[in-house]
Amino acid sequence: MTYYEHVPFRENIPAYALGALDAEEVAALEAHLRTCASCRDELAAYRSTSESLLMAVPPQKPPAALRRRLQRQLAGGQKAARPRLNWSFSRVAAGVAIVLLLALNVFSVLQVRALRSQQAQLTDQIQNGQMALAMLSYPNTQSFPIKEASVTGSLLLDTEYNNAVLILRGLPSISDDQTYQVWLIAPNGERTSAGLVRPQADLPFLSEPISSAQNLSNFVGIGMTIEPAGGSDSPTGLQIFRVDF
Amino acid sequence: MPEIDDIQLVKRVAQGDERAFLTLYDCYVSRIYGLTVRILGDPMLAEEATQDTFLKLWSRAHTYLAERGSLLLWLLTIARRTALDRLRLERRRPTLSDSNDPTEALQTIPNGDSLPEENRWRSMHFAVQALSPEHRQVIELAYYQGLSQSEIAEVLGWPLGTVKTRLRAAMDHLRQDWGAR
Repeated sequence: MTYYEHVPFRENIPAYALGALDAEEVAALEAHLRTCASCRDELAAYRSTSESLLMAVPPQKPPAALRRRLQRQLAGGQKAARPRLNWSFSRVAAGVAIVLLLALNVFSVLQVRALRSQQAQLTDQIQNGQMALAMLSYPNTQSFPIKEASVTGSLLLDTEYNNAVLILRGLPSISDDQTYQVWLIAPNGERTSAGLVRPQADLPFLSEPISSAQNLSNFVGIGMTIEPAGGSDSPTGLQIFRVDF
Repeated sequence: MPEIDDIQLVKRVAQGDERAFLTLYDCYVSRIYGLTVRILGDPMLAEEATQDTFLKLWSRAHTYLAERGSLLLWLLTIARRTALDRLRLERRRPTLSDSNDPTEALQTIPNGDSLPEENRWRSMHFAVQALSPEHRQVIELAYYQGLSQSEIAEVLGWPLGTVKTRLRAAMDHLRQDWGAR
């Protein structure tokens, strides 16, 4: 290879030593370097110059916290880990926004769930009220008044269609681990559970249908007690009222 | 610090010796931090790049080959690559002049360097400062900001041929200057 053939490659060697050649020039020069010893020597000399540029920068004392942080990382065995030192405001703000959105989303889901539950309870109450009104219009419906301490109300009973509705006001408050339980009383005194009742706190009265697998005409009375949450097999707690048919 | 001590210390770092690691940290951190500040121009980013460099020393000490150069050169090379990677990541454009006032920088130098070592980098630093403004500018953009010749031409608005000529001339000046020392 003649001197003139070397020229375009040799001219690029200083830039190559600085890492400043464009990609296509790098490929061409590296192909040439593989076959040209004199250009490799030239590159070694310029590399020495570029390495000296690394040495030519004045030292500066870093913050003392850097040494402590590195020590902690070594002690924690986090060789490859690296704490983010420069959390930008936008990153922090984005993180906070995501957390707030998630919280808002969870709050909305809970609110919707609570509203649906309230709606279902109100629907039940309306249906129970409609049932009570319908029963009052039946000629065979019997009405039994209830008055026991603060509790007042009525029992509407239609043995022909096997329907009964309890309408109560002034029930004493109970704790979360308690429930009201309705009992049907057989002629021999045996009690059969007719369901658990938990009145809504924001409603002044309770309107509750009574369910029974047996014909209600088989029973002679109805009563209510306070039982542990989940109910009992037979009455164990305070009696709220008793009505005999 | 004698080179032989560095080699022994790096071997101990490769075996997980934290004390040896901290000895090397104390010896070289001001050089590494100075370079990363020079490249990144931001103390926080420079601190992070310095931290990365020493974590690489901790995890890759076994790859250091003494016959290829001094430990300081190895660490500075890692620091430059780390800082340039970060610079590209941050999409920061280079400053068009040496952002570090040499007088100010010299006042921040700690007393850790031995006299021959200090004389060495001082003479190199002043050789760069002695370049003409145009030559210093292309060296700054190419080596400390990681730009290619065509990128430098675009940033400075110079013809590509002018950039190539000035870069080569600047390197020749430094080569002659440092070769004579």
